[in-house]
Amino acid sequence: MNNGQLMYLYPLPVRVWHWVNACGFVVLIFTGMQIRYAEMLSFMTLPHAIAVHNYTGFIVMADFFIWLVYYLASGNVRVYIPAQRNLAALILKQVQYYGYGIFVGKPNPHISTPENKFNPLQQLVYLGIMFVFLPAQMMSGLFLWQVKKYEEYINLLGGIKLLDTVHVLLFFFFTSYLFLHCYLATLGKTPFARFKAMFTGYDQYGG
Amino acid sequence: MEYEKGFLWSFGLCIVLFCALCPSVLPAVDNSDCFDCHSDESLTKESTDNVLQVEITESLYVDEDRFAKSIHNLNGVACIDCHSDIEELDWNEEVPHRSYLERVLCVSCHEDAGEEFKNSVHMKMRTKGITMTCYACHGYHYVQQMEGASVAERTNSICLKCHNPNQFHEWLPSGDAHFAHVECVVCHAPDVPRHIDLRFYDLLTKKFLNGNELREIIGHDLDKILEIIDGDHNEIIDMNEFDDLYFMLKQKNIRPTLRAELVADINSIAHQINRKSAQRTCESCHASDSPYFNAVSILLTGDDTSVDRYDVDRAILASYYVSDFYLLGGTRVKLLDKIGLLIIAGGAFTALGHFIIRELTGSLRQGKKDDTGRSA
Repeated sequence: MNNGQLMYLYPLPVRVWHWVNACGFVVLIFTGMQIRYAEMLSFMTLPHAIAVHNYTGFIVMADFFIWLVYYLASGNVRVYIPAQRNLAALILKQVQYYGYGIFVGKPNPHISTPENKFNPLQQLVYLGIMFVFLPAQMMSGLFLWQVKKYEEYINLLGGIKLLDTVHVLLFFFFTSYLFLHCYLATLGKTPFARFKAMFTGYDQYGG
Repeated sequence: MEYEKGFLWSFGLCIVLFCALCPSVLPAVDNSDCFDCHSDESLTKESTDNVLQVEITESLYVDEDRFAKSIHNLNGVACIDCHSDIEELDWNEEVPHRSYLERVLCVSCHEDAGEEFKNSVHMKMRTKGITMTCYACHGYHYVQQMEGASVAERTNSICLKCHNPNQFHEWLPSGDAHFAHVECVVCHAPDVPRHIDLRFYDLLTKKFLNGNELREIIGHDLDKILEIIDGDHNEIIDMNEFDDLYFMLKQKNIRPTLRAELVADINSIAHQINRKSAQRTCESCHASDSPYFNAVSILLTGDDTSVDRYDVDRAILASYYVSDFYLLGGTRVKLLDKIGLLIIAGGAFTALGHFIIRELTGSLRQGKKDDTGRSA
């Protein structure tokens, strides 16, 4: 295995999608906090926070469709679909690596390739995020954007309180995820190797 | 004979007393006398319109049923209480009273409202020659009881007669949601006392559950039940007591959703509406300790225009029972915030902890040639 070889892991649509999404998430989280905790925070007025939140929400939604179209059209969506028979065992191995192996210098049991970009743990988490949690957050956000207009659907889902609960729990989840994601991104060959890869598209093989 | 004389004296005295007391006990003109003619839909009079100087036919019809339900009638205000220049009816004449009655002065009873109105934008309109009378907004014969009226009933019957809420509210996020749950004067007369009306609501048919229907299902007055539910008899239902009420209703197969509406108290200050003095600070309402939500009560209205009201703890607004109202941020479920803190702290401290352990175990990894054992 040539450790110095560069692999083209992240095509342009993926990179564009990723950074638009990342910035979008951060803005949504900050404005979301201002909206929910208006009485405690005041880095923006409430109407301003709502306007920015709404616009950014739509940008993230449009961005999601860039991701969806790219992955479906290219067929690369399979990198998200767990296909191994011994998935549970692989996941366990990955957890063991992050929980112990990494501290004592053991190699990562998963080697990323363009066809097999994600380790089993990543695959599961990203599958959940991209196909369940993010769509749920976008849908709930869309309904909350126009509560009166969509009140039929909101009432069918159990009322606005319940819908808002979904949106808020996902907000907490994504915030937590952001901390972990950014930290895990520093676990490349160097702390910024992965960040560089997400800009250039190239990552070192096995690195 | 003696007996007869005594009886005649007593009888005579009774007649005299009755005649003397009669005028103060019975009105000279009863509403039914008025309705003898004025319940006829074809009753009209010819007059000249002041502005166009043309002959017009004015209807003199008063709908007895609608008047019966009006707030004036419910409070015992009779026809001649307002039309006080009619003292008696002369049935010998074609028109048993004067043809042209004096203008009715609402402020002779509604003095406070008049005072508040004097400094309002609607009064300023009068100074520009626009006829802006009390009845332009309120009507006169069919003034609705507002006590149990929903936001839609209040605004539709008054403000929306002239005003289009879709104008001038572009700055307001989710304007239509505001208009559905908040009465106009709550923002436009910011000093008027306000309260939250909680009413049982069917999410699917979008109708308030009628008090009579609920009473039939439950078996007796919800008001009585609410008294029973108020276990500590402090005249307010707290969250624990409300849980009991909810459980009781569920047993009777009523799945109550509560809809909250922010409405003004029936108070003259509601007339104090002026340009540029409307509430535009969102945070005064969208805060969990906003004083606007201090007074919260459950409301039941009946077909007979009766209104039962019972105070509840404002914490109920933040519960899942009130699923058809969410004041963004203000009535948030605070338990979620606690859960959220755990979730976010969990993520952040896991990352931090992992980093610290990696730093501490750095020496274990030193010396290993192949440092490819790191991959995200």
